[in-house]
Amino acid sequence: MPKYGRKSGYLRFLSDEDCEAIHQSAIEVLETVGMKCESDKIIDIFDKAGAEINKEKRLIYIPEHLIKEGLQKAPKKVTLWGRTPGTELVLYGNYVHYGLGGTPCPNVLDIETQEIRQSTKQDAANFAKLCNALPMVEFAMSIAGALDVPREVEYIHEFEVSFKNLEKPLIHPVPGVEANEIVIEMAAAIVGGHEELRKRPIFSAYCETAQPLVFVKENDNMILNAKAGIPVTLGPAAMMGATAPATLAGANVVTVSENLASIALTQIVAPHSPVIFGAWASVMDPYTTRCLYASPEFALGTAVLCKQMANFYGMPNFGFAGPSDSKMPDAQAGAEAMEICLMNALMGNNLLHDGGYLASGGVGSLEMCVIIDEIFGYVDRILRGIEVTPKHLAVDVIRDVGPGGNFLSHRHTLDNLRDTMYLGRLFDRTSEEAWVKAGSKDMFTVANARVKKLLAEHQPAPLEKDVEATIDKLVADSHKKLVK
Amino acid sequence: MSTQLMSDIIAAINEFDGEKVKSASRKALEANISPVEIIQQGIAAGLLEIGKKYETGELFVTHLVAAAEAAKGAIKDVLEPEIRKAGTDGIGGPRVVLATVKGDIHDIGKNIVGAMMFSAGFDVIDIGKDVENEFVVSKVKEFDAKILGLSALLSTTIPEMRKIIELLEKENLRDKVKVIVGGAPVTEQYAREIGADAYAENAAEAVAVSRKLLGMN
Repeated sequence: MPKYGRKSGYLRFLSDEDCEAIHQSAIEVLETVGMKCESDKIIDIFDKAGAEINKEKRLIYIPEHLIKEGLQKAPKKVTLWGRTPGTELVLYGNYVHYGLGGTPCPNVLDIETQEIRQSTKQDAANFAKLCNALPMVEFAMSIAGALDVPREVEYIHEFEVSFKNLEKPLIHPVPGVEANEIVIEMAAAIVGGHEELRKRPIFSAYCETAQPLVFVKENDNMILNAKAGIPVTLGPAAMMGATAPATLAGANVVTVSENLASIALTQIVAPHSPVIFGAWASVMDPYTTRCLYASPEFALGTAVLCKQMANFYGMPNFGFAGPSDSKMPDAQAGAEAMEICLMNALMGNNLLHDGGYLASGGVGSLEMCVIIDEIFGYVDRILRGIEVTPKHLAVDVIRDVGPGGNFLSHRHTLDNLRDTMYLGRLFDRTSEEAWVKAGSKDMFTVANARVKKLLAEHQPAPLEKDVEATIDKLVADSHKKLVK
Repeated sequence: MSTQLMSDIIAAINEFDGEKVKSASRKALEANISPVEIIQQGIAAGLLEIGKKYETGELFVTHLVAAAEAAKGAIKDVLEPEIRKAGTDGIGGPRVVLATVKGDIHDIGKNIVGAMMFSAGFDVIDIGKDVENEFVVSKVKEFDAKILGLSALLSTTIPEMRKIIELLEKENLRDKVKVIVGGAPVTEQYAREIGADAYAENAAEAVAVSRKLLGMN
């Protein structure tokens, strides 16, 4: 995949006036409603920067000029690095990159028993390895929490297995400043020191404010990462009707406000530090209270709102790949995955994430990961579009073959067919006879076999021995520091 | 007369109008209907209607929460003071203490559970979010709670659930209260590991599980 991504931006729903209206509403919210803040440090920073503070209610009213300065200073192009050179991704404009996973799921679909069970560190390692192996996947997050280690150090163990098994860029949440500091040490050990890490940050910290309009104590790590040059990926997950208004535009006003406040914060403490915009709207199922991950409103709330507002600000952005509300890789999961992937890709979202999620993010599935890798292949072909040049119009070729002839062996066919097509790796395109002869396998069975084959055969480039020892020691020491 | 007054309360709940529920309740008191009867024949009956409409899909969880809030306002401000004046204690129904654990401010799930349990007739005491473990245990003791519901969204805060259960044991309260846990990072297996009595995946299940644990039908 090209490091600048696949050019897109074919779709557009909102007018410039619509974007301006959302922006002005967010400014009004920040100036007159304010952000509630659980962190003394963040209150202090905004206080010194000239925001109006209500100390008793812990509210920060952020003036428009601080927002404007933040947006002006934040880089419009951000590079994410992997630990192996050549895997880096440049994010800007309407260029699309494909990735899997999101924040770690509490459960996985077991690849042997097909049962839903609590996830483990080994599942997290398997996911990272699979992402390293899959050809369309350019970066990874997580689909499985390391829930068999003490919860206070869960994220440290997840970073350990991701760094060991993934050579591509990593985006991962790091709640808590202490844990975040340890992760920065791990990354610095891999790239050869803190200065080198600033030039080549091999992970991005995924940071969520709480909806509506709250900086939580954990958001102190936005400050830490901004100062260390680690890209901060923003992702407030407002649910329409629960933590945000029950309308797409209203929910987006909430998340855009939180993004603008977070961008202002990072640019006050570390001017020109990299930030990735992520302001979407999701919906709460009004019967079950589940946060739906693949509803049509989610497609609009992520693919459209996030991208168009990111473009309005000129910021690189965080989009969605193929999460599903289904509980297994079935027809519903396939339809939902394609819906979210294609919408996000056609809009030109820079980072497509959350692929591999089932059950609205409750269950991670490795089978779904390989299915989405194939969906990425389809989507990427669609993004490549249709070339219309004399060579592609091929009038001379048509003349050559003439009425009633065929194009099978024509040089133009041999030269162009491979480039015209996405050839497919997984989805079945054989005849019905061949399919029956091969055992009448459904897509779940085929995907499961591919997962097992890749996990058995793929070998990620190992870390240097001394680097691995440093990382193991940092993990061991983290238990002493953080497990109480 | 009494039937008309009760119908007014039921209608006000169906309109999710807290002020109307209060004024209708006051009128019923003025007509010398006992506060306990007002709760049973008016408010609980109204909530039951809402609950049935939710079950058939006609209404959303959001309606259920709005109805519960309207009902709760009338109980707290109008009816409960009268009950206490009469020397009895509270509105009856099994006591439930609800909390979002220390370090976690994500409380919308807990609030929905509270509304659902209240609508189902539990006496819900919501002690808030980001609360100290000792405070949780002291409230269980103070209110002689039959159910303790604990919620968390962050996987870094859910270890507090285990600590609260340990603290209940230390205070010799563990066998007096059933502990139910829930929230995005909590799983059935985790609930078992930490010695909780049950895991509830959503608010409706929290009600069902509580009833089961207390041997109610």
